Amino acid sequence: MYIGLFDALPLLRDPMLLVVISLFSFLPVIFIFVFADQASAVQSLIGAIVLTFSFTGLFASQSVFFNKQWFRFQDMFVASKVSPASYALGLSLSGLVVALPGVVVALVLLVLSGTSSATGVVLLLGTSILLWIGLVFVGFAIGATTKNARRANSIPQVLSIALGFLPPVYYPLSRLPAIAQPIAMLIPTTHAAQLAKYYFGLISIPASEVAIGWAYLIGFAALMGFIASRRAHWVDP
Amino acid sequence: MEVVRVEGLGKTYPGGTKALEGVSFSIDRGEIFCLLGRNGAGKTTLLRILATQLKPTVGRASVLGHDVLTDPRAIRPHIAVVPQEARPQMLLSPYDHIFYMCLIRGRSRADAKERTRKVMDDLGLWEHRDKLAADLSGGLRQRLIIAMAMVADPEVLFLDEPTIGLDPLGRRSVWAMLRGLTKKGATILLTTHYLDEAEVLADHLLIVDKGRTAFLGTVEEAKGDTGVGMRVIMEPAAGNGSAAPEVLEPKSSEEILAIVERGLREKRKVTFKPASLEDAFIKIVGGSIEVENT
Repeated sequence: MYIGLFDALPLLRDPMLLVVISLFSFLPVIFIFVFADQASAVQSLIGAIVLTFSFTGLFASQSVFFNKQWFRFQDMFVASKVSPASYALGLSLSGLVVALPGVVVALVLLVLSGTSSATGVVLLLGTSILLWIGLVFVGFAIGATTKNARRANSIPQVLSIALGFLPPVYYPLSRLPAIAQPIAMLIPTTHAAQLAKYYFGLISIPASEVAIGWAYLIGFAALMGFIASRRAHWVDP
Repeated sequence: MEVVRVEGLGKTYPGGTKALEGVSFSIDRGEIFCLLGRNGAGKTTLLRILATQLKPTVGRASVLGHDVLTDPRAIRPHIAVVPQEARPQMLLSPYDHIFYMCLIRGRSRADAKERTRKVMDDLGLWEHRDKLAADLSGGLRQRLIIAMAMVADPEVLFLDEPTIGLDPLGRRSVWAMLRGLTKKGATILLTTHYLDEAEVLADHLLIVDKGRTAFLGTVEEAKGDTGVGMRVIMEPAAGNGSAAPEVLEPKSSEEILAIVERGLREKRKVTFKPASLEDAFIKIVGGSIEVENT
């Protein structure tokens, strides 16, 4: 727990930075709220919650890289009674600590909009957390493989655009041309957003597609977990 | 009592680079053991293997009686590491670094506060406790990294070039602190490029060159075995200022006496320079450079 807190401490010590980072994925919602209708704004708000979890997972890569290659704190932790599991959990959760204020604000807004149910909120959080787990693994694989600070900063940012802003997360899948829709379904954030919107009653999808969505997210997390376990080392080979 | 034992240790990295080959030595409790060598000689590789951060490919190594490869978990609670080129988190204060390292290492909050104060006092960091690490000098940042390792009160402390960037007084305070630790029974293994540091601190030293043992013994043995003796520098005679000073290496007291008499006769300034570890190091490792160049 203290590893996560230590990792998140620079942001916790600077609340202004915390607010900016926490609300980062919610900025498009403001524009959608202003320029579109309320239903679109609610969809984008759900998408923003999904993406907040995604980004915190993906940006675990920075914690992994900087603790290993830059600060070299990982070496200090290895030479202590800290276990690799608690280190990995600490770094993963540190991102959630940072994301929490934005998610709470978004959930409050969803409740106020009158579209949410307790089940919807639970399932939204469920899909988001499952996606987060998969992307934490992606983050660990990237962070452990990256060898220079420039790449450690740029790779997750490029991926966050590819996973967050391009696919139909803030906006409905139906807005994409028919030819692009299958491609969008290859992206894990699309599945998480589709499921979340479905559980809020904002879109209707067949039961088979719901099952495929969950299976995709579980499979993605398992595959990324396998890759991360091969890439990220507590003791260097 | 033997704290570290290394037998025929070797390391070849997955890419094929051979970093260590057939290194063997042991370190007793309370010793300061210095690892010396040129850049890329294998010092950090050896230190990281002993600190359970890197797997060896051949040979055996044990710390506190536990094998580094098969039983690292038994070693880790009793050791601490100052990694090479470690940096503090620039947006945190020294107090945050040290206090949280105490908590991470399993101390209670009350104990962590007490230990943080003690370590910061010992390393002259208390007055800087609330500054951001970004605002500290290079020397203070390095002291902060050392302090993060010191919180553990370890039985074995591994330091990889710990005094790099420290001013002479800062280095001496670290030396004093390390000596203080060994008096309490801690064992220290450190790598350094500062040979005066090794000369002051090392009970034993290992010089590695291209991953192999080039010398193992005490500082005095290093000087003796390499035949490095006293040097005498004789300045040019008055009125001959453009001539280079003579550097002589007397082998006996008769030769020393002869040099002194000559200096007096020719009215030349004579300076005696005792043999240093640096001379021995250059002789040991320099030999391999000559071989490399032929």
